[in-house]
Amino acid sequence: MMTLVLNRLIISVPVLFGVLLLGFGLLILVPGDPAIVMAGPMATPEVVAAIRTEMGLDEPVLTQFFRYLGRMAEGDLGRSLISNKTVISELGAAIGPTTELMVACLIWSIPLGIALGTLAAVWRGSITDRAIMAFSVAGVSLPIFFICLMLIHFVGVQWRLLPFIGRGGPLWTMDGLRHIALPALSLGLIFIGPVARMTRSSVLEVLRLDHVRTARAKGLSEPRVILRHGLRNALIPVVTLVGLQAGYLLGGAVVTESIFSYPGIGRLAVGAILSSDFPLAQGAILILALAFILINLIVDVLYALLDPRVQTP
Amino acid sequence: MKRLTLTAAVALALPAFAQAAEITIVREVDSNNYDPHRAVARAAAEVLFMLGDTLVSLNPDMQTIEPGVAKSWEVSEDGLTYTFNLREDVYFCDGKQMTAEDVAYSITRWVDPETKSPVAWRAGDVESVTAVDEFTVEYKLSEPFSELLYQLTQSFGTIIDSTNVEALGEDFGVSGLNGSGPFCWVEWTPRDKMIIERHEAYSWGAPFHTNTGPASMERITWQVVPEENTRTVAVLTGQSEITQYVPDIALAQLRDASTVEVVRSDLAFWTYFMGFKIDKATVSDPAVRQAINLAVDQTAMAEDLFFGEVEPAYSYVSQGALDWNTSLNDTLLTYNPEEANRILDEAGWERGSDGVRSKDGVRLEPIAYVFAGSTWGKISESVQAYLREIGVAMDIQAFDATVAWGRLATQEFDMFGMSFPYVSSGDALNLYFRSENMPTPNRMNWNDAETDELLQAGKTALDDATRAESYGAVLEIVHDAAVWLPLYHEPMVVAQSADLETVVPHNIYGAGLYKGLDLKFKE
Repeated sequence: MMTLVLNRLIISVPVLFGVLLLGFGLLILVPGDPAIVMAGPMATPEVVAAIRTEMGLDEPVLTQFFRYLGRMAEGDLGRSLISNKTVISELGAAIGPTTELMVACLIWSIPLGIALGTLAAVWRGSITDRAIMAFSVAGVSLPIFFICLMLIHFVGVQWRLLPFIGRGGPLWTMDGLRHIALPALSLGLIFIGPVARMTRSSVLEVLRLDHVRTARAKGLSEPRVILRHGLRNALIPVVTLVGLQAGYLLGGAVVTESIFSYPGIGRLAVGAILSSDFPLAQGAILILALAFILINLIVDVLYALLDPRVQTP
Repeated sequence: MKRLTLTAAVALALPAFAQAAEITIVREVDSNNYDPHRAVARAAAEVLFMLGDTLVSLNPDMQTIEPGVAKSWEVSEDGLTYTFNLREDVYFCDGKQMTAEDVAYSITRWVDPETKSPVAWRAGDVESVTAVDEFTVEYKLSEPFSELLYQLTQSFGTIIDSTNVEALGEDFGVSGLNGSGPFCWVEWTPRDKMIIERHEAYSWGAPFHTNTGPASMERITWQVVPEENTRTVAVLTGQSEITQYVPDIALAQLRDASTVEVVRSDLAFWTYFMGFKIDKATVSDPAVRQAINLAVDQTAMAEDLFFGEVEPAYSYVSQGALDWNTSLNDTLLTYNPEEANRILDEAGWERGSDGVRSKDGVRLEPIAYVFAGSTWGKISESVQAYLREIGVAMDIQAFDATVAWGRLATQEFDMFGMSFPYVSSGDALNLYFRSENMPTPNRMNWNDAETDELLQAGKTALDDATRAESYGAVLEIVHDAAVWLPLYHEPMVVAQSADLETVVPHNIYGAGLYKGLDLKFKE
């Protein structure tokens, strides 16, 4: 197991380097002058030039890149051009809310997706199956911003059941729960679809296998056959999918957080990019990439735990 | 289990009990920081007015200077020395008494080159600011500045606490600010929210406030909501009590809602215009600039693009602004495409086979730089359509705000789109028409010795009449030369909960709620 984790970690290094390169490329390639951003719109050209020299922006690109790598190696992500706060403190403040949003989304959507997928498999061809699959297709196809706006329109405006602006507080407080409900619901709705579809096909496949037939022949009750012998084995590909989808959720969170004005990493990244706050944008991209790598690592480990064949070299 | 689930669902769905005297104000963007000398955004002024005080205050009529932390002031005959007598009952949020030393420190820091304040010029040509005694400040200028008192009413003139500035260093205005305003800094999360709480000791509000302190509101949350539809429904559903950032298209709906009241003030001095870089061949001929002014129907644009929620502009500053030259009222260029075509024909600009006019090898195809986004998108496209009618093919090039400021400092374009706040005619004219301000903010390259002389005379005038006469003359010169194409004056529109007493919007720097002293729930 340790070898597997180590292998995966080693593979992550070039990925991380690629992300750092991409993050740095942002600074060089996209239009916008960090010195002007820092100086403000009414600054004189002299002030802008002084800031450019101070920031080292007039040095060769390669020199700038190696200096950037050096700073990253020291854990120095710099300061936000806009707020002058350290990037680490800005990211630190946003990681908590995004983690809460992920938890709040996954905690209900994974069990529900698996349950719906299993029901669809068990009642294959029935109206229930078709209804669940139609729901899944809708979840996969509808853009996240549309789901967000519909939820705001109906739940927030028409029925006035839940707030739709900002974060009310930590997840364990009532205000925090009320504020996170709609963003978590929006994200969850796009998550259920793929999970339910994968669970359905996987369960269908497993239910045809010999060990399931044997379990039935032994006289086990149908729920026991499905839950213990069918679902358990069917979950292996579902775990992979959940891992991959959790990564994509981070992308969905960018939109969701922006629409619900939820102060997470996604909204921070969008705000930083739109305001040409390059150090912060680089930091946010780095964190999102690290999260993606970490999720994949966890999936690999879980996969190995669920299916010992994976550990075999 | 069922009961538990039901209880949890009901508890989640129930709206939280509204806590007394707390409001959420939604707005579009945040400021980059809240250091009064470094932050120039309207978003900064909105909060700084609530967190701090200025020496003098501007009445909502936008003309009358009233006391602030200075209860009175004298100006020397030569206009070079202002002596401010401070109130003795002003305290910062941490309980420290405000003295003349704090005022001297604040102004000195504002103009100190080390501070790199982009608005240092607004403090005048400061020779020294000293504390004569504990509550008397002597403000010495090297040359008179007739608008000094108006400039001192702005958020840049906020009196700060030197101990606080030195203690916070680079983080001043980022992690805190110890001000003497009606509210105190609690917490700022950049791009998300600023939370401020009532300054309990506050009792020194300017005389024009119904409530001179302490504020009625205990806590205010300035929440950033970038999405305009979300801001609108936030006010409709009571998730925000007040905002001045609702789209024009939503105002009719908000006016119809029984829970919302929409308040409008036309004394807002925020003007949108397109300027001409007058030394470019395409627009160097005054006849072309005049024709362009006559070709555009600002009234129709205000109706069609902004649902009648803005005031069409024909003057370069609002006609309600201090020192507006009323003799120009009847000579302003208004929509008359026939006259525009006649002027161009007469000036020798002939239409080609494609309908575009040209003369001496110069085709009337001005390049216009504008800000990317829906507002300038629709404005510039509308202007483009009007200009096509007179044989001018305007080429629109839109840039993101982060890039646009840099591009607008170049000589690459013929026309540009801009909007700006001002407190008076002189404020606007000194910023845009001084030759020393080329290439930015004088992006027109307006280089006229007479204008410079008159602006200097207005700036250093020792009496109101001389100042008004000088600025009036400048207004006449630049209007005659058709240096700009004025588009519209944006009024101040505030959408507020019907549960609040009706606010009187203040228009200083577009910060409609000003000090927040008059924000109050109805009894």
